[in-house]
Amino acid sequence: MSAVAAKPAAGGAINWTAMAVGVVMFLILMGICYYFYPTGLMPLLLIVVGGVMIGFGVHFVPVGGAPAAMGQAPGIATGVAMLAAGGGLAGLFGGAWAAAAGQDALVVVITGGIGGGLMMAITCMMVNFVYVFGMGIPAASGKVANDPITGDSQAEFKSQGTEGHGLPFVSFVGGVIGGLFAGAGGTLIYLELLEVYKAALPGVMQITAAQVLPIAISAAGMFAVGMFLVNAVLTAYNITGTIEGPHDPKFKRWPRSVVASAVASALCGLVAILIVAL
Amino acid sequence: MTVKVEVIEGGIPHNKIMIAGIVSTLVCLYLTYLNVLTSTEMFSFFGGLAVIAALIWGSHTIKVLCSYGIGTGVPSAGMIAFGSGVIAMLLATKFGFYAPIVAAVLAAVIGFILGYVSNNILNMKIPAMVQSLTEMAVVGALTLMGFAALITGGFTFAGLTTGHVTVMGMTLLTHEQSFLGGCLIAVAFLLGAIAIQHPFNACLGPGWQQDRMLMLTAECGFLSMIAAAIMSFALISTGSAIISLLIAIIGWVYTYKEYMVLSKRDAAAWLDAKPIPEVEGH
Repeated sequence: MSAVAAKPAAGGAINWTAMAVGVVMFLILMGICYYFYPTGLMPLLLIVVGGVMIGFGVHFVPVGGAPAAMGQAPGIATGVAMLAAGGGLAGLFGGAWAAAAGQDALVVVITGGIGGGLMMAITCMMVNFVYVFGMGIPAASGKVANDPITGDSQAEFKSQGTEGHGLPFVSFVGGVIGGLFAGAGGTLIYLELLEVYKAALPGVMQITAAQVLPIAISAAGMFAVGMFLVNAVLTAYNITGTIEGPHDPKFKRWPRSVVASAVASALCGLVAILIVAL
Repeated sequence: MTVKVEVIEGGIPHNKIMIAGIVSTLVCLYLTYLNVLTSTEMFSFFGGLAVIAALIWGSHTIKVLCSYGIGTGVPSAGMIAFGSGVIAMLLATKFGFYAPIVAAVLAAVIGFILGYVSNNILNMKIPAMVQSLTEMAVVGALTLMGFAALITGGFTFAGLTTGHVTVMGMTLLTHEQSFLGGCLIAVAFLLGAIAIQHPFNACLGPGWQQDRMLMLTAECGFLSMIAAAIMSFALISTGSAIISLLIAIIGWVYTYKEYMVLSKRDAAAWLDAKPIPEVEGH
């Protein structure tokens, strides 16, 4: 087979053996955490929830990549990792700001979600501005005949030889939902790590709680960013390239991503928690 | 079914670069330990050299991985390298003298599991995936450790979390003015992540040449080292920081000139370029 005709290896199929191995690995990692640092088990579980929210949420985001930049595919014209980092880190900043103001955990997580959703909403709107007024192309989906939300017909607006272009309404909504999930997930990871470090680092380093605060915030923030990027890139590997939003057939691949994110978050979260346990 | 878009033709084989990379990175990291032995901070610049050695290895690993059409863009590889590397690196700093070796081993374990996850659970089925992600995590961890050594003069957890501030002639212990407490690690993170993904992203294509890409990596590495050396003025003595800065500037000027020579060499040549293969999933 020639290189031109070949398509990427990752298909929609689910490898059940590997999924089972993933679940076992997840349980082993949780067990290690319980053995070394029992009080870290609940935070680790919530970190995994946050990681899974990132992995699941990124599937909603309309990622166009290079074809979108040329107006040949719908979506925002950059890669999954960049978009997820943009939306998620904006949410993380929002959530961290709420946490510094001493808010309730639920308020903090929701603030993070709103930060991420807002970021994606602004991005989607400006992308459509550029598409419509800058490049002169209408928004049309190539994957569905009618927009699942508004019911608008798409085919008349789609140029020949393209897979659609611009950012249809359903992709816009998907982007905002994805931002909400990713921002809330990233904030949850940050919040849980911050609680662990604030509680345990003073004893480990033999300093007061006030002195440990900058270190705890910085370390928790850095780990949250690191885990965020790991989850976002793994999801990017799951999607392989572009996705239009929740109506895209590739969206059905999310179960793989949930297991992968759970394993990756449990692994990274365990290492992050072991800093105060060892 | 996987397809390899580009093949490595000629040049140094990857395994050789990998072994040279890990050995020289670890040696340079341990040379910063001379700071402790001689009670100075003069040898911090070896941390910057460790960064460059690790980056050269890492950018070639990115080339090996991204030669397969992974469909997510080259920058994502740099991001996962540092995302997994920073976690391993911070835990490893707890092990004092053994920190660089622990960082390499721990990052390799994390990278291996992430490689398994993406290759089998996410069904990527790319032959180089597991090995590449393992290497990338090690590169990320060692690069960050190199930056830490360059900026603070050491790589222990205590050294990264404590600094000194002079108030009216009195030297006080502080945790805010430190590599971790001041969140300089976030800047180091992105300095490294951009330097590792840029070279292959800039040089890929039918006219790819190994020596040109690796020279660009060294150039990016020295450019990052300049920024990190300027940051090190805050945490180590001025004389030591000036040594790091001078070495970074000299290295950058040299590699930049060499890169320009190589670019002109390749630009003047006519290459029988094949049509761009369509490998992105869309």
